[in-house]
Amino acid sequence: MKTRSIEVVVPPREPHYVGDGFRVHNFIPGAYRLDMKRMDPFIMLDYNSRFYFPPTDKPRGVSVHPHRGFETVTVAYKGRVAHHDSTGGGGVIGEGDVQWMTAASGILHKEYHEEQFSREGGDFQMVQLWVNLPAKFKMSPPKYQGIPNEDIAKVSLDNDAGLIEVIAGDYNGTTGSAQTFSPVHMMNSKLKEGGVAKFSFPSDHNTGILVIEGSVVVNQSESVPTDHFVLFENDGTDFSLEAREDSVVLVLSGKPLNEPIAAHGPFVMNTHQEIVQAINDFHTGKFGYLEE
Amino acid sequence: MKEGFYHYLRDRVFVRSAHLAEILKMVSVKKVKKNEMLLMRGLICRNVFFVEKGLLRLYAIDESGKEHIIQFAPENWFLSERASLYFGNPSEYFIDALEDSSLVVFDQEFIERASDISVEFRNYNEYLLQNHIRHLQNRIHSLIGADAKSRYLKFIDLYPEIVQRVPQWMVASYLGITPESLSRVRRDIALFK
Repeated sequence: MKTRSIEVVVPPREPHYVGDGFRVHNFIPGAYRLDMKRMDPFIMLDYNSRFYFPPTDKPRGVSVHPHRGFETVTVAYKGRVAHHDSTGGGGVIGEGDVQWMTAASGILHKEYHEEQFSREGGDFQMVQLWVNLPAKFKMSPPKYQGIPNEDIAKVSLDNDAGLIEVIAGDYNGTTGSAQTFSPVHMMNSKLKEGGVAKFSFPSDHNTGILVIEGSVVVNQSESVPTDHFVLFENDGTDFSLEAREDSVVLVLSGKPLNEPIAAHGPFVMNTHQEIVQAINDFHTGKFGYLEE
Repeated sequence: MKEGFYHYLRDRVFVRSAHLAEILKMVSVKKVKKNEMLLMRGLICRNVFFVEKGLLRLYAIDESGKEHIIQFAPENWFLSERASLYFGNPSEYFIDALEDSSLVVFDQEFIERASDISVEFRNYNEYLLQNHIRHLQNRIHSLIGADAKSRYLKFIDLYPEIVQRVPQWMVASYLGITPESLSRVRRDIALFK
């Protein structure tokens, strides 16, 4: 088992707003060395680091917008989001929950802070990822997996080090409940101070971690603070995290699709022609209808 | 100011937020009164107009003085005289405002510079061009091969509220029919609804 070395530790970029409800640091594809190809199949990662939103009568969020060609995954750490989509799907995700939406051939959706959360205000902290779909599944029917925290598989670590919540893929034989279209491992590592977790993913899998809370030492050598992303090399399989304080770390690893990427805003396809088709389908109502 | 264009670029073209300000800096705004001319026959068209509010039209005047409307441009439409804008020929057409209008104005160079800044803008511009060709092709087909009723039905599908905003004779002019046959068509449609 060869250790996977650190390629780069990426600090959070200046935050920007998505709509008026998500104050995010973009890591993929905006940050240095984190373009869509490098972390393929993870083609977008926005992180709303913990941020206090004051009370309001009008929920903040993002109005109706389309997606095609990939999956959006929202991992909620603090606060609650209500969402609706053009297939009639909808729901609320809150602390510890995950929403895994397969936009595939096309969906319209909107995401707002849940009403009660908006009225009361509070800390808000979430990750939104786009996971690319293999070409042959890009035009498959949209679907939705809402994964409440109680349905997320949990692995207790030895020595009372903490636990791993397996959202997708596999951790030491425990499988996450999210279905994926290509090999993807996604998990929250919740470590107590001094706790150690070891991970092993095939070396061809593009792999990174995002420190959500606390700080960790990676591979017993590199200390990584809150809100920083670690991109690993593809030179080995194993890495370790040791919590310097109680910490939460999102761990991502996926087998690259190695297919051409043509991206235009909320559409990610393989060719330019498919992008023009997506724009046309959006304009001619083929993504369905969703009220603002 | 420029808010309509900002929303259009953000929500329809999907220009990234990092590029929006830079692109918006390169356009200007113009307010025009009803009946104000924006392009005259014989002049070279230098501008594309994006309608934030109001209504423009592109039209020709024949030897007998009759107006032939080529295109209407309500909110969120672009209007220009492409042959003149791109090839630099003196225009054969006129553009004027049918209502008091707020416009965003830019030139051909803007399209090239914005395309260099934003791949989304470049893709969308290509889409708009192809869409314009599709629209013109359908319009030719309709004018040479369809009766007045189906031309009118296509018109209200394309421009749902313009019927209420312009005089009947302008709709007839756009459709290439007489105002009398337009009245007949509208009566027929009302009867068989």
